[in-house]
Amino acid sequence: MKEWYSMAIDFITAQKSPLSTRERKLSRVMLFFEDIVKVPLFGCQHCGECILSSTAFICSQQCPKRIRNGPCGGTGAGGSCEVYPDRTCVWYRIYYRSKFFHRISLLYHTKKIHNWNLEGTSAWLNVFKKRIEAPIWFVHNERQQGKELNSGDIQRKG
Amino acid sequence: MTFREKVESNKFIVCGEIVPPKSCDGDIVREKSKYFKDGIDAVNITDNQTALVRLSSIASAKILLEEGIEPIMQMTCRDRNRIAIQSDLLGAAALGIRTVLCLTGDHQKFGDQPEAKGVFDLDSIQLIATVAKMNSGFLLSEQEIKKAPEFLIGAAANPFAEPFEMRLIRLHKKIAAGARFIQTQPVFHMELFAKWMEKVVEMGLHETCAILPGVMPVKSEKALLHMKNEVPGVNIHDDYINRMKHARDPKEEGIKIAVETIQTLRNIKGVRGIHLMPVMWESITPVILKEAGLGTFN
Repeated sequence: MKEWYSMAIDFITAQKSPLSTRERKLSRVMLFFEDIVKVPLFGCQHCGECILSSTAFICSQQCPKRIRNGPCGGTGAGGSCEVYPDRTCVWYRIYYRSKFFHRISLLYHTKKIHNWNLEGTSAWLNVFKKRIEAPIWFVHNERQQGKELNSGDIQRKG
Repeated sequence: MTFREKVESNKFIVCGEIVPPKSCDGDIVREKSKYFKDGIDAVNITDNQTALVRLSSIASAKILLEEGIEPIMQMTCRDRNRIAIQSDLLGAAALGIRTVLCLTGDHQKFGDQPEAKGVFDLDSIQLIATVAKMNSGFLLSEQEIKKAPEFLIGAAANPFAEPFEMRLIRLHKKIAAGARFIQTQPVFHMELFAKWMEKVVEMGLHETCAILPGVMPVKSEKALLHMKNEVPGVNIHDDYINRMKHARDPKEEGIKIAVETIQTLRNIKGVRGIHLMPVMWESITPVILKEAGLGTFN
């Protein structure tokens, strides 16, 4: 029989991800602070492989198809989602916000295939552990550089 | 001339499309395939289109191969995770299928089993990259494939959905990932398509990749309205609806519209061919090709 406090920690840090116990605890603590910011402001879906920095701080995982690389072909007139026509396509919002912040060039970057082992873990911890790429929001600002970047210029720092 | 050689050459390409039946009767595919024997370079086989269960695209593609027609196997990400996708691709290559069209796939909501789990482990761009990687001799796990497949990779584009600039970004990403031909949604709005094509040529995307706009012959005004209202991402100009509405013989008018569309598309810079999709009206293909003067191109 395990000690009651180790069972309590398992209860609090219940996650399907294959992290070690120590990292699970750390991830839980960081996730607490991460969620305060990310869930209400950006609609975070806890994929653990955060790409918010290149999607104009709108979580692309809200898309019913969970596409990480731009809208599917079904966006309706006025930007309605093809699956739920009463909602706005997530990528439609991402596009217009990226345009507003002069960061269209970030949308040219192809996102890697999602690592499902990171689902539900703290993305900030994953950045520190170098499991995922670092945020790139502050690297490119087309307005500061005075020109529109083309895709060849995109080099992700990580 | 194989489809790959045709894409790499400068000749005009004509693709067809067959929707497999909702039964295990392979003869239906054989029956439909006879309309695509002359003047068509390759035929798309849809992969459980609009999330309805149908004869699998790999099996149907094999039937087409037996009939001497080059199949373009559609592969969607809705029903398979990365393991199944790679396995199916190896299987398809072993059966002699050489062309694959990579799609994200319609959401399961549109089918008759909306409660199903949509996998969407990859998206279309990541799927293209996966096939390209397998072509170069590696699985996603970096494990070497002893006999690597040699797929010609295709992708889809929708020039008619908003936001328009994002469509070009997606197209750019798809071509950068390894797509060598692009099929579009059916063109029912020539102005938008011409504008999109202008941008594509401006970006130089047509040089590395064959753009094949879709042409869909429709039987009636009802079919057109259904497309406009029910099918997402399709943009239909009111002119076409009016023409179909006032036509004495809607079928004749549908053929006329398709032929006109083909002739206009051929004169647009950068267009390398057409993708004919006579959904549930396969028998009309030879008629349209003859009227558009395309049969003689082969």
